[in-house]
Amino acid sequence: MSSAVDAAEAEQPAGSGSAVRERQGPDRIGRAVYRFLRSIPVWVLWLMVIIWSVPTGSLFLNSFRHRDDQRASGWWTSFTEGNWTLENYTDVLSSGAQTGGLWQALLNSFAIAIPATIIPIAIAALAAYAFAWIPFRGREWIFIGTVSLLALPNQVALLPLLQMFSGGAHWSIPGTEIVVTLIPDFSLAGTATAVWLTHTAFALPFAIFLLHNYISTLPGELFEAARIDGADHFTIFWRIVVPLSVPALAAFAIFQFLWTWNDYLIALTMLGAAGENYPATIKIASMAGEFGLREHLLSAGAFVQAGVPMLVFFFLQRFFVRGLLAGSVKS
Amino acid sequence: MTALWGAFAGVVIAVGASAAVFWVTHRLFGLVERRWAVVTATSGVLAGGAAGAVASGLRSGADSTPLLAGSQLVWIVGGAAVFGLAGAAVGLLRPPSAKRTSAMQSRLRALTFVGPAMLFVALGLIIPLLRTIYLSLFDKAGTGFRGLANYGDIFTNAQSLDLSGWAGIFGSQLFWGSVILFAFALAIALARGRRRGVAADFSASTVGIGIGGGLLLSFAVFANLRGTVMNNLWWVVAVTFLSTALGLLAAVIADRTKRESFAKSLIFLPMAISFVGAGIIWRFMYIARPPQKSQTGLLNAIWVWFGTLRPSTGGAWIAVAVLATATAMLTALCAFGVRRRQSALAIGSATAAIPLLWLIYRFIGPGVGGSILGPNGEPIAGTILFVQESPFNNVWLMVVLIWIQTGFAMVILSAAIKAVPSDLIEAARVDGADERQVFFGVTLPTIVPTITVVMTAMIVLVMKVFDIVRVMTNGNFGTQVIANEMWQRSFTEFNLGLGSALAVVLFLGVVPVMGLNIRRMQRGE
Repeated sequence: MSSAVDAAEAEQPAGSGSAVRERQGPDRIGRAVYRFLRSIPVWVLWLMVIIWSVPTGSLFLNSFRHRDDQRASGWWTSFTEGNWTLENYTDVLSSGAQTGGLWQALLNSFAIAIPATIIPIAIAALAAYAFAWIPFRGREWIFIGTVSLLALPNQVALLPLLQMFSGGAHWSIPGTEIVVTLIPDFSLAGTATAVWLTHTAFALPFAIFLLHNYISTLPGELFEAARIDGADHFTIFWRIVVPLSVPALAAFAIFQFLWTWNDYLIALTMLGAAGENYPATIKIASMAGEFGLREHLLSAGAFVQAGVPMLVFFFLQRFFVRGLLAGSVKS
Repeated sequence: MTALWGAFAGVVIAVGASAAVFWVTHRLFGLVERRWAVVTATSGVLAGGAAGAVASGLRSGADSTPLLAGSQLVWIVGGAAVFGLAGAAVGLLRPPSAKRTSAMQSRLRALTFVGPAMLFVALGLIIPLLRTIYLSLFDKAGTGFRGLANYGDIFTNAQSLDLSGWAGIFGSQLFWGSVILFAFALAIALARGRRRGVAADFSASTVGIGIGGGLLLSFAVFANLRGTVMNNLWWVVAVTFLSTALGLLAAVIADRTKRESFAKSLIFLPMAISFVGAGIIWRFMYIARPPQKSQTGLLNAIWVWFGTLRPSTGGAWIAVAVLATATAMLTALCAFGVRRRQSALAIGSATAAIPLLWLIYRFIGPGVGGSILGPNGEPIAGTILFVQESPFNNVWLMVVLIWIQTGFAMVILSAAIKAVPSDLIEAARVDGADERQVFFGVTLPTIVPTITVVMTAMIVLVMKVFDIVRVMTNGNFGTQVIANEMWQRSFTEFNLGLGSALAVVLFLGVVPVMGLNIRRMQRGE
């Protein structure tokens, strides 16, 4: 694609909705066709909206249907039969052999997602400020190196991390019998702490990238003035940078909260068999895997798990979108 | 409730500890000029403690000794005391020059800010990455060296790479469809080129047709060359292209529609749902029940309902009437295009009429949709086993991720479209360009960098697809992908070598993307 004008010239005026052609003569059929063609894209969009909403809507409606109804017929039949119930929700939340026990799992999800959101923000904001405003040797390369890690697949670190959490890190000096303990065994495997520590490490490259993008655009004169007044970096960071960066911090917080709330892989790996610590994603995935007694609770369970992110999404969509947009679109 | 208290305590302890460490070090380095001795003494204590720990480890020589057991503690405290005193002595004897302290101070300041993040990145990402690469050269238990044998196992195993079906590519309809599309794009390009006096002129629309052909070709290839590795590539190609294309489509149309934000929210909503949840949602869509029973999955219900539209039941004639009307409209459009010499309209409507004519033939003849004729001529439901029928069950699984990711592409591309400078668009309009020309000539070239960003982000995400496959098939029915294979090998079989090698293969897959990102950042700064 060369320049814009070039390309515009290259296109023959063969477009279906050519205004130039319209001028050549009023033609009733032509106009009707033209108007019809113009309206097609809008219909395509609304068709897309329907197709994109139907799966979630199906799940939602199914979650209010009795077990036998769910097994025998599709949700669309309930519009005429009208046999709705809230039983699935009460069953899936309460704990028991035949029920879901999702309430505890939701608390576990919070126990993972809240620290995994707050801690990376605190650490990344400090680093982002330093990368943007404290000159030091090798700054650019350390920054680029760190941020490039955001493409790193989680899988490459899971196995060593699990080993570290479950047994510490030891180095046996080659050629000798000597083993040096580099990191002691804190027996973290199976705990929520292992999960959010892992989340923190994986979140940092993106968090630093996003916050750096924002913090580096703050006006430098402000910091100069503060420095002349005798403020050190810490004061500047705490009194000026943090209050001014609230939009970026919020954007990242929401993004990270949704990400950790919806995570399955890291929790599954780090928690292993510690079922009492499972977050909601693992709970509903295991309900989906058993094809048995509790299958009628699955739609309610999936909806409960999705409820929190959906609420966040509906009320804080602007921040979430801002987090997604950071770095990809130059405004 | 204990979980929440745990979370609360975790936050308090972690934030408190890092704040305390940060504050103490920061204050300490702030006092470098005045209290040099404090700094040297503290570093002496730290170095001594570490040296003592190492020394005690050297002495005991066993990892069975718990850390901070009696004798070890003596070593650490002793080392810390000796080194601390030495450090204090050094600091009291010789304060460094003001210039050196200020240089050191600024470096240390930066370190206090960057340090915690670097610690996490090093311990949580870089060292594990290196260890995974190291482990991938070893056997199941992680002790016997195997060289590259694990990688050899991955790429010579028919489960992960099976190229024996290559001849089937040339027999598939997808392949011939792609040939037709390529020929079509080439013909248009040659015709346009002759008009402009060059060999071939590839406009945006011909490139678009070409990309469509490439996608069909990739489907033909991936449906015949099977295995875990090929499945993963199929995911990457199909999800990346289709999500981006659908997201672009939605963004472009929504940009000119009333109630734009409402439409966009609904397409974007799946982004908030977990992959696990999405897998469950789509499992309900894909349910197939025995033919005698009524279908509970929406897609099969529609499919079976279509099958009941047959000439014998009369339903087919309604369908044929609808289709015939649409065909007539398209024919009229085609004639209109020919009369007005609008070749794109004529070709487009003629092309669109072909599948309709084919559908009419199917409705009158063998029937459309999921039904077969029973012994008495009555239709019996024939369902599609979306999840079980290989190889296209892979595509039905990809639909789940496309459903999620389209919103992501749409939101970012929509913002990019709105960021196109309006004076550029105005200038093109003044020059007489219509909407189509403005889009292909101005908007699209301007947002190409953003499209690249979206696609690279998606490649990274799709490469490691795990949750959806695990929840929906767990890799059965020929849908295995590398990430799920890696998980099963590593965490159910505890085959450290093979699991690590699979992880490294995933890593190698994103290395080009990382390189691209690094180059982009270098250029940006």
